[in-house]
Amino acid sequence: MGVSVPHQVLVPPLGQTTDTVTLATWYKDEGEEVEEGEPLFAIETDKATLDIEAQASGILREVSVPEGQEVKVLSTVALIVGAREETAVEEAQVPSVAEALSVSEGRPSPIVRRTTPTLERLFISPRARRLADAEEVRWEELSGTGPEGAVVERDVRAYLKRQARRTITPLAERIAEEEGLDWRQLEGSGPSGRVTKQDVEAAIEARAAPTLQRPGVSPESAALRPYNEPLAESPLDGVRAIIAERMARSASETARVTLTADVDASALVALREQLSRDGYSVSYNALLLYILGRALRESPALNASLQGGMLRQWKRIHVGLAVDTDRGLLVPVLRDVDQKRLQDLSQETEDLIARARTNKLQPDELTGGTFTLTNLGMYGIDAFTPIINLPETAILGVGRIKARPVVEGDTVCVRPGVWLSLTFDHRMVDGAPAARFLQRVVQLVERPHLMHM
Amino acid sequence: MPEIHAPLLDMYRTMLTIRRFEERCNALYMQGRIPSTLHLYIGQEAVATGVCAHLKDTDYVLSTHRPHGHAIAKGVAPRDIMAELFAKATGCCKGKGGSMHVGDMRVGMTPAIAIVGANAPIAAGMALAQKRQGEGGVTVCFFGDGAANEGAVHEALNMAAVWGLPLVFVCENNLYAASTSFEAAFAIEHVADRGQAYGIPSLIVDGNDVQAVYGKAGEAIERARQGGGPTLIECETYRLCGHSRSDPRTYRTKDEEALWQEKEPIGRLAATLERLNLATAEALDHIEKEVVAVVDEAVAYAESSPDPEPTDTLQHVFWGED
Amino acid sequence: MAKLTIAEALRQGIREEMERDPRVFCVGEDIGVEGGFGGAFTVTLGLSKEFGHERILDTPISEIGIAGVTIGAAMAGLRPIADVQYGDFLFCMMDQMVNQAPKMTYMSGGTVKVPMVMRAPVGSTRRGSQHAQSPEAFFTHIPGLKVVAPSTAYDAKGLLKSAVRDDNPVLIFEHKLLYGSKGPRSESGALSPIGEVPEDDYVVPIGKGIVRREGTDVTIVGKLLTVYRALEAADQLAEEGISAEVIDPRTLVPLDKELILASVRKTGRLVIVEEDNLTGGWAGEVAAIVSEEGFFHLDAPIKRVSAPDTPPPFAPVMEAFYVPSAERVVQAVKASLGEGWART
Repeated sequence: MGVSVPHQVLVPPLGQTTDTVTLATWYKDEGEEVEEGEPLFAIETDKATLDIEAQASGILREVSVPEGQEVKVLSTVALIVGAREETAVEEAQVPSVAEALSVSEGRPSPIVRRTTPTLERLFISPRARRLADAEEVRWEELSGTGPEGAVVERDVRAYLKRQARRTITPLAERIAEEEGLDWRQLEGSGPSGRVTKQDVEAAIEARAAPTLQRPGVSPESAALRPYNEPLAESPLDGVRAIIAERMARSASETARVTLTADVDASALVALREQLSRDGYSVSYNALLLYILGRALRESPALNASLQGGMLRQWKRIHVGLAVDTDRGLLVPVLRDVDQKRLQDLSQETEDLIARARTNKLQPDELTGGTFTLTNLGMYGIDAFTPIINLPETAILGVGRIKARPVVEGDTVCVRPGVWLSLTFDHRMVDGAPAARFLQRVVQLVERPHLMHM
Repeated sequence: MPEIHAPLLDMYRTMLTIRRFEERCNALYMQGRIPSTLHLYIGQEAVATGVCAHLKDTDYVLSTHRPHGHAIAKGVAPRDIMAELFAKATGCCKGKGGSMHVGDMRVGMTPAIAIVGANAPIAAGMALAQKRQGEGGVTVCFFGDGAANEGAVHEALNMAAVWGLPLVFVCENNLYAASTSFEAAFAIEHVADRGQAYGIPSLIVDGNDVQAVYGKAGEAIERARQGGGPTLIECETYRLCGHSRSDPRTYRTKDEEALWQEKEPIGRLAATLERLNLATAEALDHIEKEVVAVVDEAVAYAESSPDPEPTDTLQHVFWGED
Repeated sequence: MAKLTIAEALRQGIREEMERDPRVFCVGEDIGVEGGFGGAFTVTLGLSKEFGHERILDTPISEIGIAGVTIGAAMAGLRPIADVQYGDFLFCMMDQMVNQAPKMTYMSGGTVKVPMVMRAPVGSTRRGSQHAQSPEAFFTHIPGLKVVAPSTAYDAKGLLKSAVRDDNPVLIFEHKLLYGSKGPRSESGALSPIGEVPEDDYVVPIGKGIVRREGTDVTIVGKLLTVYRALEAADQLAEEGISAEVIDPRTLVPLDKELILASVRKTGRLVIVEEDNLTGGWAGEVAAIVSEEGFFHLDAPIKRVSAPDTPPPFAPVMEAFYVPSAERVVQAVKASLGEGWART
């Protein structure tokens, strides 16, 4: 299916208070290809700057409002024409964001799917690759417009241009210029780190107040200097730097929501003891992995990744297990968790943890996960808000199993309980499906006999 | 008679040098000391010698894959040829040519051309230049009975006749082209008939009688010098060795070989010289020793010469650009 | 400065070289015959009157002989310019042109030189398969042989002179449709590029190509007639906002590869267009050079626009299908830009 009539690009209403806004930035040029769901333009009110996503795919035409101009809400500012007809991916497990949205909003969904040469391999020309490496661009996330869908030089350049454009809003730039402020030094508080009018105005105020400046000393450490000195100092590199970068990226890019559930662990504990009496020693991690395997099979939306604008639900279920080592956090991956026996999962878990701690993991044992399990119970933690392991959709955090009083009928008895904390990315999946998934996990923990059904 | 004494002795020496040189090459090859195959001239010495005796350094000879005899007769130093056979940097072609391309333009010996018959049109070109230059220069093109069937030879014969070139075609008919006999390749009796067909004066001579070759070649060369145009001389001869080193000669009979062995040119000339009292046995023996010494020296020189550098491979592709 | 056709420019070059050096002479079929054509394409017209029949030497139909005589005369001190009536006849003289001329300097250990020129007309012109081939690829593969291919009058005269003065065998390919021959020997469908040719003694160096048209989006390399196809294509592409750079290498051996590589570094894309069939053709060699030495500058796969792997056909409609057209070049350029190309 494809859009057959030109799609009108409208300025959306932003609540009842404003009826004109400024069209701050176009992210696409006249004639450029647009993909549904990607940011198309930004509008600015006196309160905030907002990115507006394209509601259709195709070629942007008849851009009628230039950057910086005021425009009435609900007016048409451009057209998207000639959306490309493309063959549906045969394993059709990848609903587009638009489809998900339109289902909930009741619009007929203009499904347009891109095919890449294969689902796994992405191509880039040597020339574009050199440029991307030099500019530190993650080319895997670009869509290619070159021959055979390869990423070519102009795609990298267009990306760089868009990035450059996002650093400051036109309004803020005007103010900065008028005040003679070099805005490039500023941290932007707008979306994607863009410098906004507020940032510029704040900087202008700060400029007026003199600050203590000592060469080679940052304001923060200058504040601390008289009161403290480093116990230990090391540059942020190696594993730590990787963790730092990934955590920061996850924190800034994902729309994180954590759902918690207080779960009755008595059946789980009993199951473990029964197995132990029969000679099978399985860890709680293994049991949870086993449960996750089944639950994820039923909720493929939670076994998904966002890559280069493509929402991919995966056929296979690979769960990473967070392991603390003296080099930092490592997440070895157990593959096909839903296909394995509990015993296998248990042995594999033990082996991976041991090898993670002795630095004997293979590189490909650390990649390819579709979901992550993190267990802080051994540290006495009840519940927490784990950070999603990009590019996955969700992560399940497990707290300690603690005995507590539970009301049953008229009496109070003591039962072991455990908190489960599911952080999910609201960009990819909504609260209700995430909650349903957690509900199912809880159910399987509390009544493990249902796993056989 | 007296005026042919000196040339006869010189020619004896030349033929003997060729013979001993070729025999030595054969021995060295059997000992594995020469890298390449060889096409030896044993038995045909009178042809090269009798013809080249009339040639100056400014006259050109074009030869074939069997060039050692022509090279020596034309005046290329045996040591330069031997060094080339040993693939040394001091060889006449600096190790780039090998046995089938030996030559030295300083004495008018064009580096030999191993595509039989292809030398004929080139010879015509050289003769054409000599005609233009007007200094009486002459070109001799040696080729075998096998080559006589190549189209290139026919085109050259025709052009030589049309333009009256100072070109002497010498066909060494040794009755075999590799293993193919003359009868199998010709419907006519004589290669000389071909020359007639193109309008070129042609004659047949006993190629193992160096005096006969000397006499007839002299006439043809002189005619060419005087602007009288080309001649085709067919020399009837026989190669006493195989075509190349890997030839057991089973396509010839032992009787035939024995017959030609009796007619071989060097023995005949020695007999003539002694009979006419133009040389004593001692004198001939002395020449023998001198010739062997020359061959010994050539081998010693070659063996002590340096090998080419592997990167010499990249040189001399273009003139003037190394 | 006079405006000359390529045939006239060649004639002028030959005349000037023959006047300058008495060793220079021409040899070939029908080149000096009184009342004749001056060679099949009028290049030597009138020269036998000026220089006589010894220096404009007519031959029998003997290609092996012509080649051999040229080689021998060169080795013996003259500087011949041979004329092979049709490029297809080069195959009749292959032994001389492969085994003799190019190898002589090498196998003599650098002691013999062969300062000869062989001129050969090529290209498909409704004469049928055996008078139509563009055989350059057979000869660009021979070490020891230089190969040039002038496509303008200026280059024709300049390269002819360089060839005569070079001490090595030089094969000059000329295109039948580019001669501009007039009168009874004019070609239908000819392009006849007429250009300004200085009267002074200039040479175009062997081994130097030229940029015929500057551009930024794609490099198109052609030879002889296909240089003009490339220029036509560049015009068409310009109307759509695509800027093509057209390179004429002028010499095929030794190839000015630095010129081509510098262009690809700029544009990122390469289309090679040749009148010759695809497999084993010259375009493949150029593509190999650029993919080896310019790989990381490529933004798209290299494209070759060649004739199909058939002998050249006769019928005009088939010939038009066979010889690469400007339209095919345009298509190749667009394919290398990719469907997602848009003006940025």
